[in-house]
Amino acid sequence: MAAMKRDRNPLSDDRKAYFYLLPAFVLLVIFTVYPVINTIITSVKLDYRFLTGVYNGFSFGHYLDILRDKTFQRACLNTAFIAFICVPASLITALVTALLLNSIKALRNFLTTLYYLPQVTNIIAAGMVFALLFHTNSGFINLVLGWFGMDPVPWISGVGIAGSADLYTRSYIRCLFILFIYSLWQGLSLKVILFLSGLQNINPQYRQAAEIDGTSQWNIFRKITFPLLSPVTMYVLITSVITALKSYASVVALFGDSYGPIGDNSKMMITIVGYIIDSLGDYLSPGAISKASAAAFILLLIIVILTALQFYFSKKWVHYK
Amino acid sequence: MRKTLMKTVNYFLLAAVAVMVLIPFFWMLGTALKSEAEALHIPPMLLPKIYHFDNFAKAVRAEPLIRYFLNTLIVSIFVVLISTAISVLSAYAFARLTFRGRDFLFAVVLIAVMLPQEIMIITNFMTIAKLKWLNTFRALILPYCVNAFNIFLLRQTMKQIPEDLYIAARIDGLGNFRYLWKVVLPVAKPTILTTMLLSMIWIWDTYAWPNLVTTQDNLRLISNGLKNAFTTSTGSIQYELQMAAATLVTIPLILIFIALRKYIFSGITRGGIKG
Repeated sequence: MAAMKRDRNPLSDDRKAYFYLLPAFVLLVIFTVYPVINTIITSVKLDYRFLTGVYNGFSFGHYLDILRDKTFQRACLNTAFIAFICVPASLITALVTALLLNSIKALRNFLTTLYYLPQVTNIIAAGMVFALLFHTNSGFINLVLGWFGMDPVPWISGVGIAGSADLYTRSYIRCLFILFIYSLWQGLSLKVILFLSGLQNINPQYRQAAEIDGTSQWNIFRKITFPLLSPVTMYVLITSVITALKSYASVVALFGDSYGPIGDNSKMMITIVGYIIDSLGDYLSPGAISKASAAAFILLLIIVILTALQFYFSKKWVHYK
Repeated sequence: MRKTLMKTVNYFLLAAVAVMVLIPFFWMLGTALKSEAEALHIPPMLLPKIYHFDNFAKAVRAEPLIRYFLNTLIVSIFVVLISTAISVLSAYAFARLTFRGRDFLFAVVLIAVMLPQEIMIITNFMTIAKLKWLNTFRALILPYCVNAFNIFLLRQTMKQIPEDLYIAARIDGLGNFRYLWKVVLPVAKPTILTTMLLSMIWIWDTYAWPNLVTTQDNLRLISNGLKNAFTTSTGSIQYELQMAAATLVTIPLILIFIALRKYIFSGITRGGIKG
């Protein structure tokens, strides 16, 4: 009897479930599913004007256009710098910090909270503060350099860069350095928490057994902790890279709406999302929205590949958990 | 002996990291309390001579910061309430009910978790423009009202409630909705709070979308308002006021975070990364 009732209940639930799902799926379809499909279609519409809906057939031309566009290449370069230089650096710093935190007891909670502060700081406020930290005349960094007898460095400066490739490169390297320091500061928070929770999930008996056997700390890390932590490391790496690929607001806060120091007209520090948004902002000119869509689709492809990699690796490592 | 030394080095390194983390906060607050002349002083001063707490009042008077705060508050309240209600309902359906197409629909949710918002922005902008919703609160609220990650997180929590409890409740004649209200909600409360907090932080930080769909000052959210504030027409920035405003924007979230730390941490360690 009970079994029959169990069987019947789910059936009677059947239609009600759709009511529970309706609000979520109406919004999901309008604001998530349709936009992805529409972005792909829009990216191949030629001379598309969305206000009238007029376009001249289909073409892959926009993809070629943006791949040849110097600004898009710059955007890819900067985005790659954040994702593949800044992220690994902050990952290593966070791992070391988490290992140190895991080996202490006193102050651990206090320090974890403190390290998390950048994550709950408004992204625009944080970018502005960093722009000021590196300000030539009013910045903390030049103040400290001054204590060691060094002259102020014009960190964010575009003086003369339009006419000189050498000055441009120097200015660019300085801006990349600022972005690097900012990413290190901003990215530490989340990674430390994730690594710490990963470390705390490792059974302490492995370490104790190794210590009794007289294994060195370095070997304990290399042979026990690091392999056991590898699923967390892979997760942190890939999600951080994906987040980095979407960088936008921080760059605008650091370098302004023109993505570079005053005097630069090349959008020096633009990112892929910045490129998408700039093209979108130009929506009245035909083709601009399609260019934005093409760039968005390229970004989507990269992110999908990375997500697939994450699944592949998490399956490979599942036996460690 | 060696152990004590290692411990000292350990704490020293952690303190060094702490200092690095705190320097921007220190410079923000320090500059916020300087006079205009001190903020422009060359070389820069480490700390102001007199603490100008009136800079906060000046910043609030110089720019419609209160308006931006209120706007952000209105948008976050609506988003948090609507998206929580929507997420709870659908998470319950996925966790407890059996129906045709459940696996497929849940796969859609999982894919939506992974899709970056930045891809959606183009079409959503077109949709909002076509609906003539530019410069409205609807444009700021609706696209944020469905949060696939929250649905996923709540479904995982609800799945842990034993099925026997559900069967017993159904046999006792409790309807689905009352079961959700009386049994599931109290059990899932900590996770619901987590999703609410993550949504709130998300709105507080959101920049690109509001910047696209609003052009009027009276609709700006805090991030957008802050970005454009305190820059004179010649491009020079009143740093002491800008930093005072940045401090004001930063403090509420830090307070909420310190008070409700464990809910936020439980969200992120279960995969709640909002980029």
